[in-house]
Amino acid sequence: MVCVLLAALLAITGCSGKREVDSELVVTGSTTILPIAEIAGEMYHEIHLDRKILVSGLGSSAGIENVATGTSDIGTSSRDLKPAEEDLGLYDTPIAYDAIVVIVNPTNPVDELTTEQVRAIFAGEIENWSELGGEDRDIGLVNRDEASGTREAFHKIVMGDVPFDRTAAVLPGTGQVRSVVENARGAVGYISLGFVNEDVKVVKVDGVVPTAETVVSGEYPLQRLLHFFTVGPPEGLAADYIEFVLSDQVQQTVVRDAGFTPISGEVE
Amino acid sequence: MPRTAPKPSATNLQLVSRATYLKEILLKNLFLVCACVAVAGVLLIFGFVGLRGWPAFAEVGPWAFLTGTEWSPTDGQYGILPLIWGTVLVMLGALVIGTPLAVGTAIFLSEIASPRVRAIVRPAVELLAGIPSVIYGFFGLIILRPIVANLTDGLGFGAVTAWFILAIMIVPTIATLSEDALQSIPPGIREASYAMGATTWQTIYKVIVPAAKIGIIDAIILGMGRAIGETMAVLMVVGNAPVFPESIAAPIATLTTQIVMDMPYAAGMHRTALFGMAIVLFVASMGLVALVRLISRLQTSIESGR
Repeated sequence: MVCVLLAALLAITGCSGKREVDSELVVTGSTTILPIAEIAGEMYHEIHLDRKILVSGLGSSAGIENVATGTSDIGTSSRDLKPAEEDLGLYDTPIAYDAIVVIVNPTNPVDELTTEQVRAIFAGEIENWSELGGEDRDIGLVNRDEASGTREAFHKIVMGDVPFDRTAAVLPGTGQVRSVVENARGAVGYISLGFVNEDVKVVKVDGVVPTAETVVSGEYPLQRLLHFFTVGPPEGLAADYIEFVLSDQVQQTVVRDAGFTPISGEVE
Repeated sequence: MPRTAPKPSATNLQLVSRATYLKEILLKNLFLVCACVAVAGVLLIFGFVGLRGWPAFAEVGPWAFLTGTEWSPTDGQYGILPLIWGTVLVMLGALVIGTPLAVGTAIFLSEIASPRVRAIVRPAVELLAGIPSVIYGFFGLIILRPIVANLTDGLGFGAVTAWFILAIMIVPTIATLSEDALQSIPPGIREASYAMGATTWQTIYKVIVPAAKIGIIDAIILGMGRAIGETMAVLMVVGNAPVFPESIAAPIATLTTQIVMDMPYAAGMHRTALFGMAIVLFVASMGLVALVRLISRLQTSIESGR
């Protein structure tokens, strides 16, 4: 907590304080990536007690701006660079995939949807499963709360400018979405790929079954990359920290636990 | 007013030792401080909520805020009427189910139950009040919601699920206070009724309940306050959609649940609007307390007028 505050303070004041160059690393940006960056930072600090990773979540745009202006060493982002940001000379290191799957009740005969259909369902335009080749049953929409990173990702990837149907049930957790979809025959919801279990049925989107392989190959459409941006290729402490985040030690534990799909590949 | 022993005054305290005198003064002030802390707490909370929430009325406009039908803070829409409607809908349904249950329990405990049965039922009812509301919510979410989902072929979130949970939650409030009201009726009135040849049932509905009417109404109003203010249990079963529901089994939101859902990420005007909703809740509960006071005063004046 103190780290976060301190990092936020540094970000705001433009790191006016004196700090030793190679012992502290300021990481700001996406709140989605915050848990990974923070827990990995703590693990890294435990290994290298003389090095401290200061992590804060200010949003992806703030992360990109801060790293570009030199306020932070690494800017984290859950979206790609916008055209206006491409000239900033930022170096992109993808650290994980965020894939979102659409889940329905196991008894639901519908097992394939297009991205357009998913959008229409969550916009409230399609209200009955019979319109999708299923049974004559009302669709029970299950949405996440607005503080959710999954909702934010789903909104950006699937919905675009189309607003969510506001009559949908809003649940404050992945576990609740899963258990409601498990129990209600007409329900449909979305969760991160990492949280799928046997109790719910995962729907193919645009004909692709979401798995770690189809996500990594890019075939599965409802996904985004989580990025670490640096000014030029990472060096020194930043390179070491990024390498640590990309190591199996973080990828197979922290990244998976946060519901994301580990990225295969080494830092170059 | 029954006569009580005269209060120890400063003069007769001087007769005791100095240590006792100091102790008396100290304790008197200690209790004064206790009372002041409670009052200061209310004033501070009211001042804080008022200060933070007032701009919602000033900037959105009191009419637009209270009667706006769109709650969509990300689009700059701050109408809380759907939330007020949700609160009222949930509260009324809970009262309709809970009141007969609670008043019936109170009558049973006060008029019918043998001491042995009462010794079991009363602690059970009191235990209901002691169960944390998150447990009620969990019960509602895991047990009740799937049942409602099956019956309505929907998600099971909605007013109807909240009604059953809240109805059970307000039983102890209404039952305990109603029982107090029934117990406070002088035994002579009961005996007179039986002496006239009235049966137990006739005594209950012709004599006892009318005599305790005002106390029971007080109890129901306080139960209403509990139903309006309950947050956690309701949050877990209503589905949290800030809209006018199409049916009683469709997701809705109440003032309290929307505050909890939005607080973690709300900023700026959105946060102010949440405090504005807190003002509405505050005023509603103050209104209910005032109503209880008014009714009690009415009763006192009727009794003293006799």
